Amino acid sequence: MLKKIIIMPAYNEQDAIMATAIETTKSCPDFDILIINDCSQDNTIEEIKKTSCKYLNLPINLGIGGAVQTGLIYAYQNGYDIAVQVDGDGQHPPKFVHELIQPIIDDEADFVIGSRFITEDGFQSSGARRIGIKILSILIRIVCSQKVLDVTSGFRAANRKAIQVLMKDYSQDYPEPDAIITLKRNKMRIKEIPVAMEERQGGISSINGLRNIYYMVKVSTSIIISRFKKEV
Amino acid sequence: MSVILRISLIIALLAYFTIVVLFLRSRRLDLKYSLLWIFFGVVMLLMIAFPQLINSITSKLGVVDEVNGVFAIVIFSLLIILMSITAIVSKMNDDIKTLTQKCSFYEERIRQLENDDKRV
Repeated sequence: MLKKIIIMPAYNEQDAIMATAIETTKSCPDFDILIINDCSQDNTIEEIKKTSCKYLNLPINLGIGGAVQTGLIYAYQNGYDIAVQVDGDGQHPPKFVHELIQPIIDDEADFVIGSRFITEDGFQSSGARRIGIKILSILIRIVCSQKVLDVTSGFRAANRKAIQVLMKDYSQDYPEPDAIITLKRNKMRIKEIPVAMEERQGGISSINGLRNIYYMVKVSTSIIISRFKKEV
Repeated sequence: MSVILRISLIIALLAYFTIVVLFLRSRRLDLKYSLLWIFFGVVMLLMIAFPQLINSITSKLGVVDEVNGVFAIVIFSLLIILMSITAIVSKMNDDIKTLTQKCSFYEERIRQLENDDKRV
């Protein structure tokens, strides 16, 4: 029996976290659920305490990457075989979790990304953001010859090998595209499967407004630099 | 380099070393992080003590006026120091992240143990 965990980062998600946690518990009874409260300013922690889920409470805001990495370290130290990342805002329907881990169970992949853009079902996000994602996707393809359409998708699953790689090297505030390269450089097999995502129920996306441009510059630079980074 | 310039530079350098030493004495500055400051202070001192040294270097590098050479060396030193500070900040950021993560693990462990206690 494989030990499986769902890592759910939450930052100011007081309106959505409860519903997301309950739905996930229902859809995935065979998973332990670990919510990581990334030093939320609102009542997220009180909402989390009302659920029956495990949770970690970060005393300092680490950003999405730091929060997810915390979950990955926890998963590794507690002997989990598979870790799935599901956002706390209800974007990622938990009914897809089992499809997401199937390639790992079949030993076809070490890391699986749930993608909005393969079948183009569900919420597709705005035009500008899609262009940004497309650019990053092409960039990643050039840098490490790995085809991934939805490079910023935070709906992903990792086996123990991939967990071990990522817990050592995970960027703090723009982790998703970076992680693909880190994994590829460590010779992990990456697979993308189609999922339909929801529009977020509450909270604010970690990527928005003017920060879009900042994000694009940072991630592009990071992708190019990663080509020269030492392996972990 | 004119005599007046050399005297002004020596006064400035004296003030510089005084500040560094005062900070070190009062432990507001960690020696580990002030080594670069001291090193570049010594470089400046050498430049003032042996102006012919800087003269020969700058003329070989195509710098027209030796004073410009002094500026260039100072700016370069500052860049190096800033870079090292950024490296230190990055390292600290990483350390804080690790500490934060550890904290959350311990807190969870305490919660678990308290729950176990209640059951017993």
